[in-house]
Amino acid sequence: MKINVMTDVLEANDRIAAANREIFDKHGNLVLNLMSSPGAGKTTLLERTAEALRGKLRLGVIAGDIETTRDSERLQKYQLPVVQLTTGTACHLDANMIASALPHLDLSGIDILLIENVGNLVCPAEFKVGEDYKVMILSVTEGDEKPLKYPLMFRESSLLLINKIDLLPYTNFSLEEAKRNARKVNPDLETMEVCCTTGEGIGAWVSWLVERYQARFGKLRRA
Amino acid sequence: MHEMAIAQGIIDIAVAAAQREGAQRITRINVVAGELRGVVHLQLTFCFGVLAEETIASGAYLNLEITPIKGRCRECGQTFIVEDYQYVCPGCQSRDIQMVGGTELRIRDIEVD
Repeated sequence: MKINVMTDVLEANDRIAAANREIFDKHGNLVLNLMSSPGAGKTTLLERTAEALRGKLRLGVIAGDIETTRDSERLQKYQLPVVQLTTGTACHLDANMIASALPHLDLSGIDILLIENVGNLVCPAEFKVGEDYKVMILSVTEGDEKPLKYPLMFRESSLLLINKIDLLPYTNFSLEEAKRNARKVNPDLETMEVCCTTGEGIGAWVSWLVERYQARFGKLRRA
Repeated sequence: MHEMAIAQGIIDIAVAAAQREGAQRITRINVVAGELRGVVHLQLTFCFGVLAEETIASGAYLNLEITPIKGRCRECGQTFIVEDYQYVCPGCQSRDIQMVGGTELRIRDIEVD
C-alpha cells in the first residue's frame, strides 16, 4: 500500500524555529544567524560589534562551539548576556538547541541577538533557528570560489561579509570574482568588505544592523 | 553531516504516517531533495540504516530523487532549469529570477505492508 506523505523532512525543526521567532518578536529582538567556516572571524566580529553597538543597541549572544567555551570567555569582558552552547559532535545549531538556550537569556534586555553558529559551510544553512536574517562571513584566505562550492549557504544568506581584507595583497583572492560568484548563487545577496582586526568596514556593518532594527521595531530604545 | 538529522526527520515522519494507517512495516520511502540541499545519497542511506534499526522502517528502501534548481522569470514568466547557478532567463535575459525549485526536502510517499 502506498501512503502519500508530502511532508517537509525538517518540519519538526521549522516548527520549533517558528515558535522561537514568536518569542523573539514578542521581546523585540532582531535575530541574526551568523555562519561561516571555522576561523573566518565570527567571534572577532562579535567583539567588534559589541564595541561598536555600545550605547546604541543592547547586544546578546548565543555562541555555538563544538567542545570548548573559549568563545564565550573572549566575550566576557564586554559584559554581554552570552549563552554558550557546546554542541558536542553536532556540526550545526538547530531550532531546538536555540530554544534550550532561551531560558538562560533575559530577552527583554536585548535588542539584537547574534547567534554564532558552528563553523561549517554546509550544515548550518539547512536549519532555521528563528532568525530574521542569516549573515555569513567569508574570509579572503578561504578563496573566491566558495559561493559555487557551498551554494546553499550563500543562497540562504541576506548579507555576506567578506572579512580579512587587509590580507588581500597576500592572497590570490579577487573581490570582484567572489562577488560575481556570490551573485550567481544569490542575486539578492548584499555584500560588505570588513577587517575585524583593524575595524575597517565595521561601521557599515553596524549601520546595517541599526537600520534593520529600526525598520522592524522603530526607534532605538535608548540613545 | 546534516544527513544524520535529515535521516532522523525522515524516519520520524514516515513512522508516524505509517502508524496512522495501521501499517506494520515500511518497505520503501520516496524522498525528494532539491539539488541545492546537497544531500549525499550514500551518507543518507548509511545514517538511515543505523537510525531505522528497531523501528518499523528498518530495512526499508530509501529512494532519493534529486530535483534540479528551477527559476521563474519575473519579467516574462518563463520557468527554466538553472544550470551552473546562472540565474538568467534564457528567454529574455532578465536577471530578476525567482527560485521555484531546488531547495525542497520532503517525503513524497511511503510504501507499507
